[in-house]
Amino acid sequence: MTRPIPWPRRYSAWSLLRARRAGPGYWRPLWTGRTLRKAYDVVVVGAGGHGLATAFHLARDHDVGRIAVLERQRVGYGNVGRNTTIVRSNYLLPENHYFYEDSLRRWECLSRDLNYNVMYSPRGVVDLALSEDSLPALARRGNAMRLAGIDAELLDQDALARFVPGLEPRRPRRFPLVGALLQRRGGTVRHDAVAWGYARAASALGVDIIENCAVTGVRESGRAATGVETTRGFVQAGRVVFATAGHTGLIGRMLGVALPIETHLLQAMVSEPIKPLVHSVVVYVSPGHGETYICQSDRGGLVMGGHLDGFPSYTREGQWHRLEDVVQGAVELFPQIGGVKILRQWAGTNDMTMDGSPIIDRLRYDNVFVNAGWCYGGFKAIPASGAACAQLVATGTAPDLIRAYRLSRFATGHTLDEPGQGPFPVRL
Amino acid sequence: MTRLQCPFCGPRELREFQFHKTLPTGPGGSAYERTYERVADAERSLEHWQHVGGCRAWLHVERNPSTGAVLAVVLLGGMRP
Repeated sequence: MTRPIPWPRRYSAWSLLRARRAGPGYWRPLWTGRTLRKAYDVVVVGAGGHGLATAFHLARDHDVGRIAVLERQRVGYGNVGRNTTIVRSNYLLPENHYFYEDSLRRWECLSRDLNYNVMYSPRGVVDLALSEDSLPALARRGNAMRLAGIDAELLDQDALARFVPGLEPRRPRRFPLVGALLQRRGGTVRHDAVAWGYARAASALGVDIIENCAVTGVRESGRAATGVETTRGFVQAGRVVFATAGHTGLIGRMLGVALPIETHLLQAMVSEPIKPLVHSVVVYVSPGHGETYICQSDRGGLVMGGHLDGFPSYTREGQWHRLEDVVQGAVELFPQIGGVKILRQWAGTNDMTMDGSPIIDRLRYDNVFVNAGWCYGGFKAIPASGAACAQLVATGTAPDLIRAYRLSRFATGHTLDEPGQGPFPVRL
Repeated sequence: MTRLQCPFCGPRELREFQFHKTLPTGPGGSAYERTYERVADAERSLEHWQHVGGCRAWLHVERNPSTGAVLAVVLLGGMRP
């Protein structure tokens, strides 16, 4: 069942003409702040990408009654507005690449589904190989993807030179660039538009989005939760979904459950605007400086990120030397940007699971769910996570796509260790 | 948090140190619990670090992950420098 969305103002070329005729006051706020009711059928905690997408799919695809999204701060203030906007599905493990491919297919038509331009830009994601020995590893990943029907191409040095013109891979370098794995359908999506688009669509479907309302506890009766305690009083709830990226460990503590999650910081930064230089997303793991991924925003700023800061933190204050590492990697890759200034730098809190893969499952109670542990890759997962999590919440059964993301996999030994580094979020 | 106080070398820049792992706050627990589960405490985190860019001593660090304040740094095993 997919309900048509009753848009208060549907965006189209006609709406521009209609707005011009109607004069000022035609446009409405993207979502309306509704008053908090005493009871809901489903309460989603966290108005970020995953929470809003879950609420949207619950309202559009399922018949679950009244839905609220409770947000401690403001819509899109957390990681959905702090990431480097990259979407891709170039994973090795089948459980992961099928899931992220489902997400990428949803990204491709999200602007139409939400009637909101999220600016999906399939500009290609390029994973660079720095030696003949690292090419087979990329080839293996690419072959695994192609067997699953996902696009992947192995580029040799000439093909890489053609695809990323500014890179000049034949130039003598300390670490030579011998080739790359390319996923053409990967690229970027405007992250704020994703939060706003989902919030607008959910609001149009009757979801109450309540900002500045922190959840402080869960009230229980037997094996079920009866509602949530908030800073604005008790809210009765038939089902509760926690989509609180960056703070899920603390949610577990609130419920008396220790989770296989540790919270680390990840930084991102953007340079001053420059003329078009990087037309794709380039991922570079330098033996000297660690990871750097770099793309260019539509305004011209180079958006860069790297690896985790390296120790647990909730401060959202990035370490200077990690920023330096990322910038050094970027300059090593594109020496011509050496004089470009960094405009802004920020950090987000990442819920790192002990195998690097997410958790979408029940948590302690039969009617409490958790959508968490997205590590540093949550943004690209938003559309698939919202749809799958909504199905789990509405029907009580996890769809095949997320069956591997159950919480019990750590105890039963079925971990999905994509990076192959064991139960340590940072191992440099 | 920009520095750690190494018991041998004194206050040094954080980039000289390598975080290794967080520790369970109490004794006991199954192998699974001690390997995979983490006690999410917003005010107190017990960790193993190593001064890899200095004396290479293994350190037991107690920190507040919400403020970044370092509460204690001692040598692993309770030895004195």
